[in-house]
Amino acid sequence: MKNARFDSVGLYRLLLKLYPARFREEYQGPMERQFRDEYRDASTTGERTRLWTTALLDVVRQAPVQLISEVRQDLRYTVRVYRKRSMRGALAIVALALAIGGSTGVFGVVNAVLIRSLPFADPENLVEISGSPVAPTNGRPAFIAWRDASPYLRSAAVYSTSEMNLGRERGALRVKVSETSANLFEVLGAKPLLGRAFSSEEDSPGRTGVGVIGYGLWQQAFGGDRGVIGAKILVNGVPIEVIGVAPQRFDYPGGTALWVPTVFDFERIPKRGAFFFHTLGRLSIPPALAGHLFEAEVARVNPAASKEEIENRPRLIPLRERLAGPVRSAIWVLGGLVVFVLLAACANVAQLLLSRASERREEFAMRAALGASRARLIQQLVTEAIALTGCSAAIGLVVAHQVCKMASLIVPATLASQEYTILDWRVLLFAVGLTTAAGIFFGVAPVLARWVTAEDALRAHTATSGRDTLRLRWALLALQCGLTLTLAAGSLAMGRSFLRLLDVDLGFTPASAVTMNVSLQGTKRDGKAARSYYAEALQRLRAVPGVEAAGAVGYLPLVSQVQMAGSLKLDSGQVMNAIVMNGASPDYFRAIGTPFVAGSDFRSGDPNPAVIVNEAFARMTGLDERIVGRRLTAPWTSNQYEIVGVVRTARFAGPSHPGGPMAYWSIEEEAPPTLTLVARVRASGEASIAMCRDAVRSVDIGVPIYDVKTLERRLSDTLARPRFYAEATFLLGLIAVVIAVAGIYGSAARSVAQRRREMGIRMAIGATNRQVRSLVLREVLIPAAAGAGAGIVGALAGGRYIRSLIANAEPITLEVCTAAAVVLLSIAFAAAWRATTHVSSIHPAEVIRVD
Amino acid sequence: MRSRTAVESLLPLPLPVFHMLLSLSDGERHGYALKREILQRTQGKLNLGSGALYGSINKMLEQGLIEESEERPDPHLDDERRRYYRITSLGRKVAQAEALRLRDLVNLAEIRLGLSEPA
Repeated sequence: MKNARFDSVGLYRLLLKLYPARFREEYQGPMERQFRDEYRDASTTGERTRLWTTALLDVVRQAPVQLISEVRQDLRYTVRVYRKRSMRGALAIVALALAIGGSTGVFGVVNAVLIRSLPFADPENLVEISGSPVAPTNGRPAFIAWRDASPYLRSAAVYSTSEMNLGRERGALRVKVSETSANLFEVLGAKPLLGRAFSSEEDSPGRTGVGVIGYGLWQQAFGGDRGVIGAKILVNGVPIEVIGVAPQRFDYPGGTALWVPTVFDFERIPKRGAFFFHTLGRLSIPPALAGHLFEAEVARVNPAASKEEIENRPRLIPLRERLAGPVRSAIWVLGGLVVFVLLAACANVAQLLLSRASERREEFAMRAALGASRARLIQQLVTEAIALTGCSAAIGLVVAHQVCKMASLIVPATLASQEYTILDWRVLLFAVGLTTAAGIFFGVAPVLARWVTAEDALRAHTATSGRDTLRLRWALLALQCGLTLTLAAGSLAMGRSFLRLLDVDLGFTPASAVTMNVSLQGTKRDGKAARSYYAEALQRLRAVPGVEAAGAVGYLPLVSQVQMAGSLKLDSGQVMNAIVMNGASPDYFRAIGTPFVAGSDFRSGDPNPAVIVNEAFARMTGLDERIVGRRLTAPWTSNQYEIVGVVRTARFAGPSHPGGPMAYWSIEEEAPPTLTLVARVRASGEASIAMCRDAVRSVDIGVPIYDVKTLERRLSDTLARPRFYAEATFLLGLIAVVIAVAGIYGSAARSVAQRRREMGIRMAIGATNRQVRSLVLREVLIPAAAGAGAGIVGALAGGRYIRSLIANAEPITLEVCTAAAVVLLSIAFAAAWRATTHVSSIHPAEVIRVD
Repeated sequence: MRSRTAVESLLPLPLPVFHMLLSLSDGERHGYALKREILQRTQGKLNLGSGALYGSINKMLEQGLIEESEERPDPHLDDERRRYYRITSLGRKVAQAEALRLRDLVNLAEIRLGLSEPA
């Protein structure tokens, strides 16, 4: 009986552990006693059951109430403590917020691109078959036979995407069209929102006049009208019946607005240019095994292909990898840099809390001596730490949101469903987990590691406070400086390579030029009427006030599209390979600002076939400027073309790629269906856009005019990615420097504050102000320099790794590292110098008297 | 003036607090005695769990309605020392104000509900 009672009380004592520390400390005794009394008074099992029930309900109801009230008090205390040291607290919060924000933001992007599941059924089994053994050009039956006989494929679809004109009553649209096999939707496991997908026979030639439109196009062109099913649209002039609407966020492959089953009936929709076919497969066996079977198949069917360089060899590419694409490696690099910043911030916060812990050792020991339990003090520390990191996390989420916004502006996701967002539970979990772990670790671990008893506290005042904590703080300072130096060197190198890009002579003048694309495909102006259309469009463009010159070109620099290349023969018999053929109108070079090195422009109405080449071409022939007046033969014609001029080589793919040899034919001789018009204007390009566009539109409203942009805008689009990388690394480097400065300043200031007494004694026995000051400076700057030294080694090693991931990244040289080290250490010196100004205010007599 | 607003800001009192102040206005009590007295007074209707009891005591201490007196054994129970509480002057004022508030309410109820005896 007695045992049972004590067991019950023991059980109740365990239950009381659910109350927060201070409440328990205060009332555990009385509550236990009361329970014992009541238990004693309860004589029957029924009464005891009732007692236990009330006790349990009581705890469930009251423990949270008490917890909230105590946390509120702890928070008030925390605010009071940190208000006194507001600068240090604010620095720590900002440092941690930047680090958490940066890491969460980058994680948001990584998550969207690499981790988040694709909007397809079983995306793990989807592969792109690069170098497929059977292409649509082999015909539908061959493709189906190959697909059905394949031992590793459950099914396969094939598609080709291109931009086409969509005819409407008012104006025309240029949209991305995927010509597919009938089963594309089925392979991806997607169902149309409205209507139906293609039936399996609808990709047989002759039956292909149907199409599924994308959600965006449905909204834009049909106002979301459900009666769209059965409507007829004109695609490059060919009538297509709408049979379905794709679900929202489904735009595979990359931004498709219209799917038509014409891949085996490729002539149905007229178009010109070069086209690529992609084969998408759904595997029936595990990917690794499928890869082996595929390799064996390629070796059998196309032995030459399997001996190609590894990157050109046919292979199965998981769809996820395919869609993560070129941003993948850069994202890993950025992610790595963010981890560095996070580590630096953590080292900073650890340093702060560690010195706080040693500062407050006395306070804590005193409170312990006055009866506060260890649990109570730890509760206070945990609350403080969580409050600190919670504040940082809240600000950090705002930072993260901005990072995601910036990233999606600059490097848009390939698919609508990959949109970057931080409002993903994984991202939130990451941020909250990171924060809480950081807070608890840095807030509590330093105190637990150096727990002091009341007796210690009484001695603490006389002992030199914690030599070993000091050493740990030095190590943290060195770590911080090392990480910062690596980041700073990285961002200097990235910044330098970006500035170099801006400085490159592009071979044309981007300022004050308006460009727009026109496409005559499927319009009344296609074919014979094209020449007159272009002549009229250019004439109207030239008539716009402020336009100095206007011309047209087949491929505009900075526009990524397929270019046609071929071999040309010079009259000396010399054959030039891989020459890009372009078309240009008279005055085009003046409009885009490409200077002539020799010779002159096309003459309008000149009956003699003429050609203009660029400097790269002239250099390739070895004739340079003497090439003017020589004759060229193209393989497709027996005509001889006279080279009338040599122009500066334009960097077509942007400043980071030198332009290759190119030859320009006059578009007056043969007018292609799609051209880019260029107008050189006197005012800024942006201001003239609308007038130029309207002038061209007025020629024929049925011809779509699209991608109307200034040339400057196109350049900045081309530079968006390198700029993003440069800005991101610069930002991260800057954050790291701020964190390091905060750390160094704090470290020196604390050193002075905590060692006033020691310094006073040193000064009393004859040390000068300067000697004492240099003592502190040495203590801070030596670890900083040591860290920087280690950082240089890290930066040199890391630079090599970054170069292997991002093409065109500038190497991190010793020179860059030295520059970064000089910058970092001068700032460190300035911060430490500033922090030690208080040394001069120490009066030995006062300090010693206080003791 | 200031103390009146301090008093009013605490009204209306939670029922357990009012009961405890009533008990303490009669003399010092320890926690368990308070609980038993209230249980008796309300015919078992207000049974405070120990969390609720000491939670209220904690709050009343913070608000300055009661204060601790010294620890001593309860003559009726056993030899074990117990913590005793007594009412402060603020506590007394607050309890009075609460009683007046309740009286006004009861007066109103008597008139409205026709409970008042004919004069």
